[in-house]
Amino acid sequence: MLLDTLTSFLTDTWLFWVLLSVGGLLFWKARSSQYFHYILNRYILALITLLLVSGIVFSLMEVLPGDCAEKIMAYKNTQGESISQADIDAERVRLGLDQPMPVRWLSWVSELTLNGDLGYSCAKRQSVNLALGDRFWMSFWFCIAGLFFAYLIAVPFGILSAFVINQPWRDHNPHNSKLQRGVNTLGLTSNKLLDLLLRMVSYLGLALPNFLLALTIILLFVFAGESAPVGLFSDQWKSEPWFGDAGFQTGKLTDFLAHIWLPIFVIGWAATALQQQTVRALVVDESNKLYVEAARARGVSGVALWVKYPVRHSISPLFNSVGFDFQRVFNDLPIVAVVIGLTDAAALLIEALALTNDQELAAAILFLVALVVISMNFITDSVLAAIDPRVRKSVLAGGQ
Amino acid sequence: MTSLIARLRTTKQPTNDDAYYTAGQFVLIKNRFARKTSGVIAGWLLFSFLLLGFFAPFFAPVDPSIRGADASYQRGAPQAIKFWDENGFSLRPFAYTYNKPEAKLDFSALLSAGGGLDALDAMTESGALDSSEQNRYEIRRDQRRYLQFLVKGWEYQVIEIEALGIELRWNRHLFGIDNGQIHIMGTDEDGKDIFSRTLHAIWVTVSIAIVALIVKLMVSLLIGGTSGYFGGRVDSILMSFTEAVRVIPAIPVYLACAVMLSSLEITPTQRYFAIAVIIGALDFAALGRRLRTHILTERNQDYILAAQLSGASSGRIIWRHLVPSFSSYIIVDTLINFPYVILAETSLSFLGLGLTDPTNSLGVLLQKAQDPDIQQNMVWQFFPVLIFVVLIMAFVFVGDALRDAADPYSDQKK
Repeated sequence: MLLDTLTSFLTDTWLFWVLLSVGGLLFWKARSSQYFHYILNRYILALITLLLVSGIVFSLMEVLPGDCAEKIMAYKNTQGESISQADIDAERVRLGLDQPMPVRWLSWVSELTLNGDLGYSCAKRQSVNLALGDRFWMSFWFCIAGLFFAYLIAVPFGILSAFVINQPWRDHNPHNSKLQRGVNTLGLTSNKLLDLLLRMVSYLGLALPNFLLALTIILLFVFAGESAPVGLFSDQWKSEPWFGDAGFQTGKLTDFLAHIWLPIFVIGWAATALQQQTVRALVVDESNKLYVEAARARGVSGVALWVKYPVRHSISPLFNSVGFDFQRVFNDLPIVAVVIGLTDAAALLIEALALTNDQELAAAILFLVALVVISMNFITDSVLAAIDPRVRKSVLAGGQ
Repeated sequence: MTSLIARLRTTKQPTNDDAYYTAGQFVLIKNRFARKTSGVIAGWLLFSFLLLGFFAPFFAPVDPSIRGADASYQRGAPQAIKFWDENGFSLRPFAYTYNKPEAKLDFSALLSAGGGLDALDAMTESGALDSSEQNRYEIRRDQRRYLQFLVKGWEYQVIEIEALGIELRWNRHLFGIDNGQIHIMGTDEDGKDIFSRTLHAIWVTVSIAIVALIVKLMVSLLIGGTSGYFGGRVDSILMSFTEAVRVIPAIPVYLACAVMLSSLEITPTQRYFAIAVIIGALDFAALGRRLRTHILTERNQDYILAAQLSGASSGRIIWRHLVPSFSSYIIVDTLINFPYVILAETSLSFLGLGLTDPTNSLGVLLQKAQDPDIQQNMVWQFFPVLIFVVLIMAFVFVGDALRDAADPYSDQKK
């Protein structure tokens, strides 16, 4: 009997204990280590930010028209019950919607921190956790894949772009003969043209709004007379399970991959422009510093110079921005999802905001995205403080 | 590119050191900007686009509203402007006359087939009833219409400043054509001229961005300035709020606000301003943080202490001493953000929650691109897409060059 109460108490409040024990562990470690003191600070800050985010998201959803009681009653109305205003009011009292907003927010937050319950979606008439289910993870992996694609293109090309433009010494080197300098100038000019071309391609990803890009690709498929890779699977594989009678279905996997590249490519290209700009600016900034000059004077040159000095130093600010890059990619996802016909959390978000005014679902999705961003920021901060001596020095000295 | 030109130039101009060292910040930025070929080209492109957009009624040959819709040329293809054809050369450019043939629908087939629904189905299938089949035009190559310049047309406001009571109206347009209207980029379903709509849309979109960026600047200054100047508890509260706003994806938040707007009873003009204000007001996080960091480091400088000792108020110190020290960064940041704000407006319009159809905004015109009818039968309606892409690219390149130019360390290497 006691055990039962204890188990149910623990299952109802598991998330709270997890959060508390992580905090406790960090606190215990922080007493002897400056590094963990910093981590504990970041952890507390992250939790405070999350609380604020939940407040902002919750009050934002108040502006959407309609409320839960109206939706439930509207549903009952379609089921043939006749509904009066008094019924709606009674339903409001039953759901606690007559309470002032701060009270409802508190109850939402406490449910969330105690057992990770994101509330109840009235438009879908099921719990938000259930309605979201795997779809959030699907969006998450879309964004990660898009981000990965963007980094894969942006980092090398950004570095190349910075590399080709930033060689003024070749032009001015007085040791070279006039002819040599002339050849170098021609080389520099062609390098700058290459840089211009690279920038144009990457900015095109920004200038072509992603819905147009998606539409254009779909149109190209239509004109070519093939079926466009809309959605996640073709009709043939949609209902097949991943594991059939003969083990893992490779056909489903190839079909999946044949569809998945389109959203990843579209959101990735849009993110590439900004990434490439950032990488280029970072590397150009670093390569103008004196330590690079000193290394060049010591005789380090070519790829070795770039990889060991400016590039290595520009990686950590880039790594630091992963969280916000994720947010930016997710920002683009809903519209792409509408065009391509995905059924992930981003599409749900659009549906919840624009069609069904499903405040609970929309708030939950926005909150989850913010949660991912905040956790990513927390992780990158901790990792950077652990491995990058410059960051470590500044945060640990500043912490005292 | 500039290095090549510099090398070809035989005599190097002596740098006037006095002029260089006494030059103000903006002169330096301007000089550095002028050295970026791509930035300068993009700048001129941008400038001409903005000019075209601002004086759109003058440059547009046709009234873009429903009043100017050409009932005799709906869903029409672009009308080519020519100088010569097989009938000879003409100094004055001309276009042909387009006639709509009488509808030759043969309904007798329906009767002969017994008047059944099958026959009607067959007719629908053959495409004879759909609207692009109904709007085929025949070109009369023998009937030229000549282009006229500075023609009289509908009356419009060149410029209007209500506060000063200035209102300049005119009815001349850059060009027009004999007998009817000229549609260089074709017409849409209602017969509205695509070219004229696009020109008008440029300014609507850019002005939304301007309003949004001004609002953004105000909010950022307010939050960043307060936070940086007062520091301490005010700073930590405002900054954790900013951090929280920064992690929430922006477009869904715009969407929620736009949904709220659509449930209110407001006029299109109010809606237009409301959207601009929402886009601007929610985007303060990045700039606000930069301002705060800058002011935090600057506020302990001696000149601030001097101002404080002279009895200047906090507001005056922020506005007259701290903000000007940061003005070049603010301006550059604002310009760099133009394309993102325009894209936000477009995304909202695409989802049907921003501006809506009778308004000419690039977002509204772009939204049409998702209509399969337009994709298959009216490709010329993709013209605004082209303009949009070029406009954004121009903005990005100008922003890029400006970012480099505004960096005070960028020409130490030269």
